[in-house]
Amino acid sequence: MERVMLETAVVGSYSMPAWLERAKNDFLLRRLSRHDLDEMHDAAVKAAIKDQEVAGVDVVSDGELRRDNMIDYFATRLPGVDVDYRSKKFYYDYYDAVARRKLPIAPLGLVDDFRFLARFTARRPKVSVTGPHSLVKRIRNEHYPSEDAFALDIARLMNLELKELVRAGATDIQVDEPYYSGFPEDVAWGVKAVNALVDGVAARIILHVCYGNRYGKPSWEGSYRYLFPAILGARIDVLMLEFARRGPDDVALFREFAPPFALGLGVVDVKTHDVEPPAMVAERIRQALAVVPAARLSVNPDCGLLHLPRDLAFAKLEAMVEGASQVRREVGG
Amino acid sequence: MILHVNTVQKGSAARARDFVEALMELVEGGQVDAALLPSLRVQLDWIQYRTNFREPIVLRRAIDMDGSPLGLAEIAVDLRQSDRGWRALLPASLGTLGIAGDDPERRYLEGFTPLRAGLLWSFNRLFWQRLDDWEAATGRHFEQALPAGQSDANHAEAIADSVAEFWTMLADMDKRGHLPAEIFALEIGVGSGVRAARWLDRFRALDDERSTRFYPRLRFLLGDYSIPTLDRAMAAVAGHRDIVSVMAMDALNPFKTLSFLRYKLLYVHLTNVYDNLPADELVRRDGRLWLVEARAYLPRAETARIAAAHDVPADDVVRTVEKLVEIGPDVLRDRARGIALWRDVWAALRLEERLVRLDDVAQAPLPPGLDRHHLDDLLETAPQDVRFHLSRGAAESFGNTLPLLHPRGYLQVQDIFVTSMDEYRQGFRGPGKLDGSVVNWVNGALLRAVAARAGYDVHFTPFRYRTGSRTSILYTTQRD
Repeated sequence: MERVMLETAVVGSYSMPAWLERAKNDFLLRRLSRHDLDEMHDAAVKAAIKDQEVAGVDVVSDGELRRDNMIDYFATRLPGVDVDYRSKKFYYDYYDAVARRKLPIAPLGLVDDFRFLARFTARRPKVSVTGPHSLVKRIRNEHYPSEDAFALDIARLMNLELKELVRAGATDIQVDEPYYSGFPEDVAWGVKAVNALVDGVAARIILHVCYGNRYGKPSWEGSYRYLFPAILGARIDVLMLEFARRGPDDVALFREFAPPFALGLGVVDVKTHDVEPPAMVAERIRQALAVVPAARLSVNPDCGLLHLPRDLAFAKLEAMVEGASQVRREVGG
Repeated sequence: MILHVNTVQKGSAARARDFVEALMELVEGGQVDAALLPSLRVQLDWIQYRTNFREPIVLRRAIDMDGSPLGLAEIAVDLRQSDRGWRALLPASLGTLGIAGDDPERRYLEGFTPLRAGLLWSFNRLFWQRLDDWEAATGRHFEQALPAGQSDANHAEAIADSVAEFWTMLADMDKRGHLPAEIFALEIGVGSGVRAARWLDRFRALDDERSTRFYPRLRFLLGDYSIPTLDRAMAAVAGHRDIVSVMAMDALNPFKTLSFLRYKLLYVHLTNVYDNLPADELVRRDGRLWLVEARAYLPRAETARIAAAHDVPADDVVRTVEKLVEIGPDVLRDRARGIALWRDVWAALRLEERLVRLDDVAQAPLPPGLDRHHLDDLLETAPQDVRFHLSRGAAESFGNTLPLLHPRGYLQVQDIFVTSMDEYRQGFRGPGKLDGSVVNWVNGALLRAVAARAGYDVHFTPFRYRTGSRTSILYTTQRD
């Protein structure tokens, strides 16, 4: 599947239907069976895929609708992590999860979800994983001597899963590391952990760093300057950042540091219900093109669309695709 | 018949006993409609503000959404308002229990409407718009009407603690390199401006003392919908003019005025604002949900007295009141007379209530951002038989303030809260009259649900700075 110039992609999550939220909670409270919830997940994922395709997005995800949140989906799958399943009463909350021993190697089960996505889309499928730095900020460590040692070990075992994903046909793998923004002092070892995670993984690697999207609001504020220069050592193909909400100033960092990777440009704000007109999206892309050439620029929302109502999420994707299309025509792509 | 004794205040037991005896005599004498008895609720003591909108005995009838009468009825009694006169009061009161129409002893000022949309809120608005006129006539500042004779908002020790907490957060952010160049803070509902002035004085002093240079970076905003109040507040904070801005703002939607500060406010404070915003009330009886509707009236005798005292034809009183809330005390040409009329009408104003059965929880007038499932969750934690505030105005204001908060920012609300649904088991308070304004307890459990939806936890701590204070301080933390 050939890539287009100014390729459009989702970050990962898609609008969570209210009925699915209730179903997840009913499952948590043992009022719904695993089987019924799985069926609902399948239906919701197919609908999310269809929405992305109809909107015209080039690289699609499963909407991450099977996940309670970006942490628990992995904490419950990481072998050796003890999860207290009584520790949350609302599905979106985090479980109390703790690593009390060295994590053994075992499959995480991400491949099945990827295969489902790939089977139901004709577009390029992308799978996202939460990065080791973010995971160690939420999973208590009672074994490893340091956070970075814990992160490296998570990276080691998740690396095998990413290779399994590639064997299953994955060409685009994204690593989400929003917690960098809350702990800028960790970036150096955080990058090492990402490198260990993607070592030998023959796919296009995207690193997504935002300022948080928990409950649809930022968890931190600041400038992406903190990422540099440490991020230059990341063995990634694309650095995907949020700009629509925060403004384009930090795009200039790509001029200042000339990184070896491409830029994934956030062009729609996922924290507002105002839908950007395609012309505004196009203008944001043009501004970025003054710094980054079109061949090294892809287009995406600022972050996941989880907290937006479905109609708005869809409208934002349509605007993104149309805006990108306008600029593509201008630059002859 | 279910007799519910909420709270018998010390010294009122004899009144309660007398009331029950009088009531049972009437029941035995067949003077209470037998069709209503199976579902009849009798509430002793229906807790109210000392100055409120109710007669000593209030009857509530129930209807369905089409207006057809239903079997549920309630008798709510304020034992404080009558000294053993129940045998005289009860027969006349109960005589209208089975009647669905108008009471000829009342001059109605409006039709039945949900409480949040009632005439009392027009009076409330008038009070804040014409505060100077009211205070000139009463000869006292509105804060003197508060139970303590002054606002807890201005308590020096509470302010010092508030400043210290804020400064500590700023210092931590600064240490991490997370402190923005401009430090935005907001006070909504500014009162006399004394709190803001004292807070800023204290903040500047602390900043000087610790040489942190935060004060010059501070942008302190004062928001209120009352221009006279803002003018006063601006005068009070004159010593901080360079860092203070005032803005007219609808307390229900601060975001509308301040959307340019989305995710930028590090501190938002409100004192006694939520208790002054429109609210509805819901009742659950026998597993069904009912909306309280009310209509304002003047007792016939009071109407006659007001007409005579203010030289208004008795038949014109209702029309004059309508004009009063529309154009203010100038309704009588002589403003002083108009203000006197205003005060008399306000003092005499009463509310007649009825219960409207909701066929479905979804018909409850929930504040924006909440749906029936949140109400279901709230009701799960509530007593089976309960009356509670649906603090719609407070919830709306709260929900429209949270998006302004910086990720490290917090909201601090000093007010009178019911902090859990279970507290309604102990009684129900409000609405009441506080000088010329409305005051009402705020459903903190409802705010907790709004906050959770927006990614915040709320916490309540009693206001510990004044013995006997019934206010609490709500503050938010980011939900993890």
